[in-house]
Amino acid sequence: MIEIKKYICIGCPVGCPLQLEHEKNRIKEVSGNECNRGAKYARQEFTDPRRSISTTVLISGALRQRLPVKASGAIHKDRILEAAQKIHQIKVVAPVEIGQILIKDFLGEKGIDVVACRSMKRVTGTRTACRTKKPGNSKSGRPKKR
Amino acid sequence: MLGRVEKKYGVVVVGGGPAGMGAALGARDFGEDKVLILDREPEAGGILLQCIHSGFGMHYFREELTGPEYAERFLQKVIDHDVDVLPGSYVSGVVIDSGGSKKVRIMSESHGLITVETKAVVLAMGCRERTRGAVRIPGTRPSGILTAGLAQKFVNLKGYLPGKRIAILGSGDIGLIMARRLTLEGCRVEGVFELMPYSNGLTRNVVQCLEDFDIPLHLSTTVACIHGRDRIEKITVAPVNADLKPDMSRAWDVPCDTLLISVGLIPENELTQNLGIGLDVVTGGPLVSSTLETSMPGMFACGNVLHVHDLVDYVTREALLAGRFAGEWSKGVRRPKDNIRLVPGDNVRYCVPHTLSPEREHTIHLRCKTAMKPCKIRVGSLMEKKLRFVFPAEMIMFKIKPDLLDKFHGDTLRIDILPLEKGEKVD
Amino acid sequence: MYDIAVIGGGVIGCAIARELSRYRLSVVIVEKYEEVGFGTTKTNSGIIHAGHHSPPDTLKGKLVVRGNKLYDRLCKDLNFGFRRIGELVVARSESEVPELERLKKQGEAKGVPGLEIWDREHLRNAEPNLSNTLVAALHAPSAGVINPYELANALSENAVDNGVDLKVNCAVEKIAVEKGFLAVHTSTETIKARFVINCAGVYADKIAEMAGLRDFTIHPRKGEEYMLDKRLKGLVQRLIFPIPEKNTKGILIIPTFDGTIMVGPTAQDTADREDASTTYEGSEHVFGFVSKICPSITERDTITEFAGLRAVSNTNDFIIGPTRIKGFINAAGIQSPGLTSAPAIALFVRDILKSEGLVLKKKENFKPHLPGPPRFASLNDEQQRRLVEKDRMFAKVVCRCELVTEAEIHSAVDHGARTLDGIKFRSRAGMGRCQGGFCAPRCMDILSKRLDKPFQEITKRGGDSWVVRKMMDD
Repeated sequence: MIEIKKYICIGCPVGCPLQLEHEKNRIKEVSGNECNRGAKYARQEFTDPRRSISTTVLISGALRQRLPVKASGAIHKDRILEAAQKIHQIKVVAPVEIGQILIKDFLGEKGIDVVACRSMKRVTGTRTACRTKKPGNSKSGRPKKR
Repeated sequence: MLGRVEKKYGVVVVGGGPAGMGAALGARDFGEDKVLILDREPEAGGILLQCIHSGFGMHYFREELTGPEYAERFLQKVIDHDVDVLPGSYVSGVVIDSGGSKKVRIMSESHGLITVETKAVVLAMGCRERTRGAVRIPGTRPSGILTAGLAQKFVNLKGYLPGKRIAILGSGDIGLIMARRLTLEGCRVEGVFELMPYSNGLTRNVVQCLEDFDIPLHLSTTVACIHGRDRIEKITVAPVNADLKPDMSRAWDVPCDTLLISVGLIPENELTQNLGIGLDVVTGGPLVSSTLETSMPGMFACGNVLHVHDLVDYVTREALLAGRFAGEWSKGVRRPKDNIRLVPGDNVRYCVPHTLSPEREHTIHLRCKTAMKPCKIRVGSLMEKKLRFVFPAEMIMFKIKPDLLDKFHGDTLRIDILPLEKGEKVD
Repeated sequence: MYDIAVIGGGVIGCAIARELSRYRLSVVIVEKYEEVGFGTTKTNSGIIHAGHHSPPDTLKGKLVVRGNKLYDRLCKDLNFGFRRIGELVVARSESEVPELERLKKQGEAKGVPGLEIWDREHLRNAEPNLSNTLVAALHAPSAGVINPYELANALSENAVDNGVDLKVNCAVEKIAVEKGFLAVHTSTETIKARFVINCAGVYADKIAEMAGLRDFTIHPRKGEEYMLDKRLKGLVQRLIFPIPEKNTKGILIIPTFDGTIMVGPTAQDTADREDASTTYEGSEHVFGFVSKICPSITERDTITEFAGLRAVSNTNDFIIGPTRIKGFINAAGIQSPGLTSAPAIALFVRDILKSEGLVLKKKENFKPHLPGPPRFASLNDEQQRRLVEKDRMFAKVVCRCELVTEAEIHSAVDHGARTLDGIKFRSRAGMGRCQGGFCAPRCMDILSKRLDKPFQEITKRGGDSWVVRKMMDD
């Protein structure tokens, strides 16, 4: 029996409504596309839909508390949430270099690594210029003069 | 050098985001070796630092990068080219003396109140988001209502969530990207509500940020009321009628603890306005000549402070150009004044630059008012260019050759976007 | 045991407490919110009325003129922003002119100084941006503008400086009449006092009820206000009033102390004492009305909107005085012109206490003075340079819309700010067109460090108004 999968092409702002006809998972035809990109996209989405993923992980000893990271290659769409959960388990200690590999062969995929998206130097103490002095508390709960 | 500031420069760039860094490099490439970037954040890079998703650099680097990667590559170039960068600094004003030399007044965390002298200035302050106030949503004023960009800053730079149960007003790209981002962080996104009958974001983001995670997108719908005393507790949403006013008879409530607002960007021109520089009321940015010079001689503008761009790559391209012209100015090169004024015609919302010179080739940036497909752009009687489609959300760019302009003897050139006539076809 | 417990840290409670802090008395302010002025006060229009509006035979009519006169001294002492910019009641047709004459007479009889009727031409020269259909106006030069939250903060801070206790996050739940004193049971503790002054705003009848008094009721009347972009600064120079309606002075154009223009308020009776919501109907009414008086004002210039509740009593007048419960004194039903009357109400209540038997002995060491907050943006170059030399944090910009520096944020914390709103009301950080989009995380960083509280525990205005949550992996 021929089944139909529907997609919206993401190739350009036209957003062609695509129809992919398949029988027992074998692609028969793609229609609705105004250009070749549509057909290619629908086939890719049908056979192996992949997405890039980027998120942040905890970092200590740096100016900021979060380090942006990404998977160096696209991963299967259905594994995005799982991937995010795995990446969030990483804890990094500064310094770190851009491109530094944090997990190799992520989710068992050869050649796809989780890498740092920026460099962060090690800083000693907090660099922010905030004063750490607390306002004194008088018995009424109001601060004393600085 | 990072943190260094001297007394005199050839070019001072206000803003250290992609536009500012591009402008500094453009000036250096031209041969101006005294260039300073001023940035108000603790580190340069601008909004790219919080845009941790990928999709940057396809044009410029031929590679898909995340925002921080794009920023770091540029910052490295800037440092390698011996540009001075002063983070944590705020430009409180620019004083122009009779000789045309400019004194930039700076408030700096590390240097105090200082003034640097420069021949040229490039304005590259970027843009900011429209807020709840600007879209006017009735109801209470609890916490938990913030722009998508502020939420992005909390999540990606500071490591905190804006809430757990999220509703999003507006389908701008930042809102869509935050829908995915917050889902990955374990939040529940209740829906995206868009006033217009179409999404304002890229189709790619609608598919990959919403559909992938089964987040509903409600078109022609708006937030009609906010509820909650201390913290937002729910919103009333309603479909809108043809006049874009909510139809309360069809309204429903959506419980949430957070409402993100993603309803557009505005060039950040407070400084520009204070200097008395002429602004384009449509773009919200300064009026510029074909050398991206503002109405104030020796003051240039580029990037989102000039007009809001779709892609950072386009910002970079424009910034390199602005930097180059600023470098020329500082070296004493004076080009002939533009003598052709561009006028937006049918279905053209705006075009940048605002004037042209027949001296050289120009890239024109424009936006249409409404979608049209197929169609053609007509530039006076000089040229026509057929297009498969135009969309308001997508910037249109095309080039005009100098020999065409040479043949033109008028002083205003009108640009129209028109439907194709019978028999015309897009190649 | 306190001599006096003031219930409610709004501008009335704070004014009374500050007045009493001149004397050798033990005084406590009991406030249910995280900071003072977070109720009706912060949503007040900020007008110091000349006094010609209220009828002379009412209590409010008497206190308003006296209150107005007390503001010069109060401002000199406490350094809050106050400017007598004057007020115009405008007539939209010839038929409204007799009403101007009536208001002028009423004002003059009460001693309002400088009242003058301006003809069309005079009005046009003075306020060229008003509609040219206006025919005349009544000018009252002694009317002024202040920032009401600044006043409440200054009064309470000065009161605390002079020994008054301030209990915040402290909601009154029960009042027991004991022998010779009243026991005020709150959410955190029981406070005993010989006198209780009920300044509880829209809840004043509920507080009175707790003491067993049911002789008045409060009917909240909501007012919506719309703050406009600073691009419109200078559009009008004076407060612009229409000819007053039955329940309200009508929709006004208010050039606030900081210059930004505010329009409103509406007047809508509501049964909900917490109803601070704005509505489509409200904005339509406000802008529909205002555009007739000043055509260049449109809804598109709104940067923020808010609503507040007036504490209207069933007598439609202030209810100030002792009750049949010994020691329980009302300062209730304080609707407009309550802010103007506040300093006069404080003196009035002081005199009531005296006649009720309280001994008033002046303190020798009373400190009337409070330095105002630093306002970097309003200083000249030389003053700015001096400040930066003293404290480098004056060169670090936190709020770019209103040019507020980090030193000013620290000063706000030093002077009692505990929340983002507290910082906003003291320093203006977050009041501009980006509405805190840029400065909120920075202000939260500073509050977190200064109060030694985790970042996620910083709130917008106390209670459950949290701003962020921790991340799952944090």
